[in-house]
Amino acid sequence: MKCTECAFEAPAAKFRYLYNARIDASITMRQCPQCQSWLAVNEMNSEAQHLVTPGEAPWGKSSGIEGLADDFNA
Amino acid sequence: MAKSQQARDVDELVKNREWWFVAEKTRSSRLDYLRKAVWKKGAIGGNYAPGIKIDLKFPQLFTEKWKEHDGDPIMLQKANALAHVLDNTPIFITDHAQLVGYVGSAPHEIVWHWQGVSMVNEEIYNEQGIIPEPEQESLETLAELNDYWGGRTAVDKLARVLDPEDAVKFMSGAIGWGTPTSAVTYSTKDFDFIFQGFEALLAKVEQCIEDTEEKLQGEPSPELLPLYEKIPNWEAMQIILEAGIRYAKRYARLARTVAEHFESDPKRREELLRVAETCERVPAKPPRSLQESFQFDHFVQVILRYETFEGAWPHRPDYVHGPFYDQDVNVEKRLTKEEAIDLVGEHLIRTYEVGIFAPRWTREGLQGITGTWVWTMGGVKPDGSDACNDLTVAYMQAARLVRVSNPTFGFRWHPKVKDEVMRECFECIRHGLGYPSMRNDPVLVANSVHWHGHPVEEARTWVHQACMSPCPTTKYGCQPFRMASATANCAKMVEYALHNGYDPVVNMQMGPQTGDPREFKDFEEFFQAWVKQMEWLRNILVRTVNLGRVKDPVFFSRPVLSSVYERAIETGTDACDPTNGERGNAWVTGFTWVENADSLAAVKKFIYDEKKYTMAQLMDALNANWDGYEEMRLDFVKNAPKWGNDDDYVDEIMVRCLREVSRHAKEIKCPSNNNWPLLPENVSGNIHYSSVVGALPNGRRLGDALYDGGISPGPGLDRKGPTAVLKSCGKFDHVTDGRAFLLNQRLSPTQLSGEKGYQLWKAYMKTWADLGLDHVQFNMVDDATLRAAQKDPEKYQEVIVRVAGYSAHFVDISRKTQDNIIQRTVQGLG
Repeated sequence: MKCTECAFEAPAAKFRYLYNARIDASITMRQCPQCQSWLAVNEMNSEAQHLVTPGEAPWGKSSGIEGLADDFNA
Repeated sequence: MAKSQQARDVDELVKNREWWFVAEKTRSSRLDYLRKAVWKKGAIGGNYAPGIKIDLKFPQLFTEKWKEHDGDPIMLQKANALAHVLDNTPIFITDHAQLVGYVGSAPHEIVWHWQGVSMVNEEIYNEQGIIPEPEQESLETLAELNDYWGGRTAVDKLARVLDPEDAVKFMSGAIGWGTPTSAVTYSTKDFDFIFQGFEALLAKVEQCIEDTEEKLQGEPSPELLPLYEKIPNWEAMQIILEAGIRYAKRYARLARTVAEHFESDPKRREELLRVAETCERVPAKPPRSLQESFQFDHFVQVILRYETFEGAWPHRPDYVHGPFYDQDVNVEKRLTKEEAIDLVGEHLIRTYEVGIFAPRWTREGLQGITGTWVWTMGGVKPDGSDACNDLTVAYMQAARLVRVSNPTFGFRWHPKVKDEVMRECFECIRHGLGYPSMRNDPVLVANSVHWHGHPVEEARTWVHQACMSPCPTTKYGCQPFRMASATANCAKMVEYALHNGYDPVVNMQMGPQTGDPREFKDFEEFFQAWVKQMEWLRNILVRTVNLGRVKDPVFFSRPVLSSVYERAIETGTDACDPTNGERGNAWVTGFTWVENADSLAAVKKFIYDEKKYTMAQLMDALNANWDGYEEMRLDFVKNAPKWGNDDDYVDEIMVRCLREVSRHAKEIKCPSNNNWPLLPENVSGNIHYSSVVGALPNGRRLGDALYDGGISPGPGLDRKGPTAVLKSCGKFDHVTDGRAFLLNQRLSPTQLSGEKGYQLWKAYMKTWADLGLDHVQFNMVDDATLRAAQKDPEKYQEVIVRVAGYSAHFVDISRKTQDNIIQRTVQGLG
């Protein structure tokens, strides 16, 4: 897996697992061991997608009648 | 008549549901000042706000007198030390305040209770910013205090008698939470008794001493010997009651001095003189007005918080103060309704401002607040008639104006509650306060009778002992001591069943060896392993707590609480002594409970019923924390039955688990020989334990937040709507299957706007009541607002959310907790 911020490369397990966006989705948050950035990771293919910032999708997505927001693309 | 500009502004804010600005624009200038002047004492995430300092005066004064009385019986030694604090700690009166008294020597200081656990005391060195200036000098003082108290704290003493194996497992931090001492506790108070006034209580104590001294002049016999031990206990109570009266008079003197010599505003001068008269009157004598009643109450609460870390605030203020409100506002008309709301709002603010230094694990478990101060509202009187009054309504209205996250309210709903009061509850929820939580009074009264044998008239007096558990406020019902260590990290039950009692996170053999699950032939064998782990986990916690309880009068001692406890005064014992007639009201708080049902259901379906996977495959995936098993993990999440969807497959497992625990709850006993039922709820323990509980068959990884608690379904896993959630929760008996059950629900603020919204909510509440659920609480803030608050916290300082059992300002909780709250399903009603 490659960090989107500093390009550090290692197997996904070397990136510290933080927590999931939702238990029923494959997007999780992992921390780069080199630059400490919090990354959105697709666990299906172990791919770092982008840096996670506060209020970021897909974190904070209710699955109820508010529905999944348009930017939820897990 | 045309509306003023301000009214139009408020209408616009209401329309946009900007409730924090509505509050700011509609409250009085006094409340606005008091609300903004108060320091935030709850930890933000895990850290204290800039400027918050530890009060060092308190431990210094206490320790100085404590040493002078070395060798005295402990209650006497402590009473003298506390009296010295009350006589000498600096006091202050906030501008515009009508109520006085604070636990600390300055408004930005928080009290540090160093007499509980010396190991926790060491934490204070690691907390940046909370050491008072000059820092070096303060650190030296702290080191001196810690050196002296090391080995002398309550838990240090307890550790010497605790079974070493129990101690090590308990201290692992994996299975339970808390400290088995009343140094960190919460206690019920009987205000019918206390409001006689300290002078009347003193007279009772003096009479007891006189009678006993007379008996001691009698013929020598073994019966006389225990009486000698009672005398110093009564003397300690005497010292405290007298010191309490002097403490109030110090405030009276300060208020009068400021009024007569410094205050130039005639209106404020008059107010200060009234404060002086109030403090001259109470707590020495019974209160006569709403202000005296609030002030009396607050002095008692403050003095008790000098004695110990009261982590909760069991109280029923509308019931206690309601008659004074009625007399002042409705009968004698001494106060306008607006003036009364100012006093009520200030009562909330004076409570909110109390701060106590807590170790990190407590701060993480109770993010954003100092303690779970859930005040009880509504309910019935001992004769079963409606107890709601005008003050119930006034508290709800004041809460919307001051918007504090602590105290919060738990409302005792019953069939006779008037629509007017229900509307007030709903308005608080609609304004996004997250409170009141709604409690089913008939169910909980019956529950108290069932589990602890409280007579029904006594059971009807109940208050929230902490977030959830009812406790009567009567002579033998009052619970002096409920320490948080009877708090189980329940997800470990299924985790240990999977790992043969071994804890793969802390790497220790914790529970009994119930066998390698790969060898189990059927689900029944797996379930029996779960039962054994459940019993072991509850047993070890309760053993520790029971021991802490009986040793507390000699290891810690509560002269303040004893001096206001009728049964302690009558018997000359410590309030915490379980032999003085306490009926017993114990419970085990069950954190991270629902993971058991969802995990057991997944194992039953996929491993034993459908044989889709082998146990060996599942164990490989769990041991890898699901890394590399994402497809399988999603199968376990999406296709295994989940609690909260009215699915009998998993719901029956939940009911079976609860019934096993309830059986066990009657087999183990508290020191009063009463039962230990389970009470599933979480505060923010689901976040604290996220790094302590390993991967589970419900699809959760080590690190992921656990479910948000009690009997709440997993966030996003309740896919069939609110009625399905209620129906699942209604499949077990809320009287006999446990002590109480926390249910979080998120509702849509858009859908619940206007009169239609209220009617929808009321219909939902009727279903809730008909199904016999005992609790439900709501968040009604939309995703967009919460996400915006994450991005720009400065702009959303006043957004409040219900975490679990308590409310907090959204910006004060950690990112992980914030995300967990947003992940909860927003349910549509109707």
